[in-house]
Amino acid sequence: MTSENSSERVVVRLDGVRKEYGQSVALDGVSMEIRTGEAVAVMGPSGCGKSTLLNMVAGLDRPTAGTINIHGDDLGGMNETGLALFRRRRIGMVFQFFNLLDDLTALDNVALAGQLTGTSARQARKRALELLDELGVADRRNDYPATLSGGQRQRVAVARALMNKPSLLLADEPTGALDRQSGEQVMNLLLDLNRIGQTLLVVTHDPRLAERCATRLVEFEDGRIAREKVLERTA
Amino acid sequence: MSAVWKAARSAVRRRRLQTVVIALVVLLSTATMVIAMGLLDSASRPFDRAFDKQRGAHAVAAFDLDKVSADQVSATARRSGVEAHAGPFDQTSVSLAPGSVSFLPGPLTVVGRGEAGGSVDRVHVWNGRWATKPGEIVVNQTPPFSGGAPFPLGGKVVTPQGTKLTIVGYAYTMSRTADAWVTPEQMKALHPTARQMMYRFSSASTEADVAQGIGQATAGLPKGSLVATQSYLTIKKDVASGPGVYVPFLMVFGVLGVIVAVMIVANVISGAVVSGFRHIGVLKSLGFTPRQVVGVYLLMVSLPAVLGCALGAVGGVLATDPLLTSAFQGTGMDLSGVAVSWWVPVAALVGMPLLVVLAAALPALRAHRLSAAEAISAGSAPHRGRALWIQRRLGGSSLPRSVSLGLGLPFARPARTAMTLVAVLLGVTTATFATGLASTVNEFGKAGDHTSGAQLIVQPGQPQFGETAPKLDDPQTEKVLRSLKGTESVTVDVHVPVSITSSKKVVAEFWRGDTSARDFRDQIVKGHWIEGPGQVAASTAFLRDRGLQIGDRLTMEVGGKPARVTVVASLMSQRDLLYADWRALSALDVDVTKLNSRFQYLVQVSPGTNIAQYTDAVRAADPGLYARPNSDSSTFEASVISLSVVLTLMLVTVAGLGVFNTVVLNTRERRRDLATLQSLGMTPRQVIGMTVTSMAAVGAIGGVLGLPLGVLAHRAIMPIAGEAAKVDLPARMLDVWHAPVLLLLGLAGITIAVLGAFFPARSTTRMATAEALRSE
Repeated sequence: MTSENSSERVVVRLDGVRKEYGQSVALDGVSMEIRTGEAVAVMGPSGCGKSTLLNMVAGLDRPTAGTINIHGDDLGGMNETGLALFRRRRIGMVFQFFNLLDDLTALDNVALAGQLTGTSARQARKRALELLDELGVADRRNDYPATLSGGQRQRVAVARALMNKPSLLLADEPTGALDRQSGEQVMNLLLDLNRIGQTLLVVTHDPRLAERCATRLVEFEDGRIAREKVLERTA
Repeated sequence: MSAVWKAARSAVRRRRLQTVVIALVVLLSTATMVIAMGLLDSASRPFDRAFDKQRGAHAVAAFDLDKVSADQVSATARRSGVEAHAGPFDQTSVSLAPGSVSFLPGPLTVVGRGEAGGSVDRVHVWNGRWATKPGEIVVNQTPPFSGGAPFPLGGKVVTPQGTKLTIVGYAYTMSRTADAWVTPEQMKALHPTARQMMYRFSSASTEADVAQGIGQATAGLPKGSLVATQSYLTIKKDVASGPGVYVPFLMVFGVLGVIVAVMIVANVISGAVVSGFRHIGVLKSLGFTPRQVVGVYLLMVSLPAVLGCALGAVGGVLATDPLLTSAFQGTGMDLSGVAVSWWVPVAALVGMPLLVVLAAALPALRAHRLSAAEAISAGSAPHRGRALWIQRRLGGSSLPRSVSLGLGLPFARPARTAMTLVAVLLGVTTATFATGLASTVNEFGKAGDHTSGAQLIVQPGQPQFGETAPKLDDPQTEKVLRSLKGTESVTVDVHVPVSITSSKKVVAEFWRGDTSARDFRDQIVKGHWIEGPGQVAASTAFLRDRGLQIGDRLTMEVGGKPARVTVVASLMSQRDLLYADWRALSALDVDVTKLNSRFQYLVQVSPGTNIAQYTDAVRAADPGLYARPNSDSSTFEASVISLSVVLTLMLVTVAGLGVFNTVVLNTRERRRDLATLQSLGMTPRQVIGMTVTSMAAVGAIGGVLGLPLGVLAHRAIMPIAGEAAKVDLPARMLDVWHAPVLLLLGLAGITIAVLGAFFPARSTTRMATAEALRSE
């Protein structure tokens, strides 16, 4: 399935979302939609509010005003437990600094996401191994994050994000801490995922990543959407 | 202001919570140690002061009148080593006949002495005056403590020969040289049997010195003329036994407190060093020398430690005073100005911070060794914990993932876990020891008060104290009490003064009626319970003082009638007492009402009986009967139990703070991991569950290990405390461990851990997750 033939179902809807931290305004009345199968890249200078947007969509932070709907669920109506369960079912997250648990092997880091949903350890490890295999790091499954390269760590992180088959994959500067070659690998990975129907919301400073992977680019300035454009993928 | 001071101050400010924990831990352990050392130091001071004030006799000697003359006895004062003397004074033993005041047990050792003062044994007359003419007597009594009954002047002491002596004064002597004094002229009429001489020696600090002094003074006297001697050191030891009881268990609390404090301080500092790698790197890159960095960390812990220590020392000194008062209550000694010696708080003020700094030095030296670059990169690079195979095993288990992750956490930092474990373990040890201590002391108190089985004690009124004389005699009183509504059982108990051949007099307690109310069997240390009229039980104090053993036969004289009895049991009691049932008294055929005896009726009422109404009914039956509710907890028990409860709460709180501190360190270090887990969908409850589980496991192990240690400490310390109190504790009093109690105490470790972990665990669910996820 590709973005061209995806249904028009709205996965994410933001309506007048505002976020204040004391006196400063991180998001100022942002409204936008992301449809199934889209790959949306959010760009803008540091402090423009793009990471805040990602946190709002993930339910890690709450807006000061406005509403956020994911698959029709209003995040504002959920308590902390509800948000945690929502993240488990709907969201996969990839971070700039990977955020793998240092005490767990690559396999257990991936399996952990499945085990939190109640999947048995055996089932979770089986699925984790499949994902690691698909992402080309199965041979490092018993290694700890400290012994992996940056690119390998990020692929393990992507595998973990995909463990529960999320409807929305959020990536916060996924190539920001990687060398060029590893960054390329991660870009290809995200592109492949979107091509098989994974909805993506990627926050990045890297224009190459946006051009390569995104179907739509949203540019932020001072907490607002400055411009939006549909992209033709270069790859 | 130096850079080290500035950096340490800002570090203290950044770690407010841990600073408070260190201050509290040090405060509590310092206070406990000061109390223990203060009591140890002060135990004999009131005696020393009172003894010096009275110029007490280092030795009191009694000589046989028939074997040695007054001149020969006087000559002993001129021997080498004798610094001062008093005497010779004639003395005799006076039995008390009816008409004598009832509060004196009799027979009395009466000494003929012209004045209270002198160069040795300046007797303190605290009520009335000294005897100045025949017919007068001064009684040796310690002043009553507040609330005690007053002693009346003008009461009579009547001898079996019919001599009536009027009490004109009450006095007491630290040297315990007599039960009463009369004029030398009166003594002649009482037919003295011995001569008393009191000595102060130039050297008398040990028993050997005193023995040598006596030996030198009495050398050359006819054989057998010296019939008895008494050393002041024996009395001193006796007096010190009150506060001495507190010392062993206070030392246990103090030592446990210090170990817990050391563990927690070491944990805090190692945690601060590990979590402060970046801080250390920054300090070094700014130009701090390794020594200055160590200085920052040591200063950081010294500030709260010194503060906690100072407050603990003050608190300890303040808490020692009421304990001393309680321990010496009733001894008649002036306690004003008896304070803890200056060296005790000074030792604490120097020792505790030093100990704290030593505990902190080892982890702080790690900061010394780290290079700046190493420290900065170590703060951000991924690192693996320890014992990862355990994590892997747990990850594959069927346990909920939040639980298996929690169980694996303690292994990531084994040294920190070990120190936390020791804190919890000692907390459980303390709780176990204190529970055993309270149970034993409670049993001890019940046993010490032989009336504890009764809810009411009824005593005939004593006219000499202004009370109404009873109309009913002994059998009538028992009958009336049994007839009252609500009476379940009545035990009649009479204290009778008896003489024991070749030994000092003693009070014997005879009883009849519903003897099940009297649980004497539970107090048997050795031997078996009385099975016949020729048998008596004796307190351990009685046997110790006279060097007697179970099976020894004695001649007991009651009202002039002798009876041969066998000691069949030693009973746990500090009092000098003999116990026998009514059969022993009946066999003697003596009318004890004609002796200076004292009856009491121990009444057990049926459940639901109104005690006040019952008391009124007793008074209505005979206005000369005084009924009072029986309180079975003495000041001593209350002091020990409340003190141990307070100290236990303090140490358990400290152990909980140790867990709290560890969880705070762990969650701070794992802030990013916790945020990751929350981003993966771990609910707040699962986060709390995981964090609490990590400490509950430590608590469970601490409980399992701390429990036997507490039991062992109880087993080891209680006999030592008993020895200090001059009591042999029956095995029953050490067998206070029952399954439900042990189970509860076993859970104490988990409780400490869960309570210590819960609040910091809950606060982690409120952290800024998004921010933590973005941090490198």
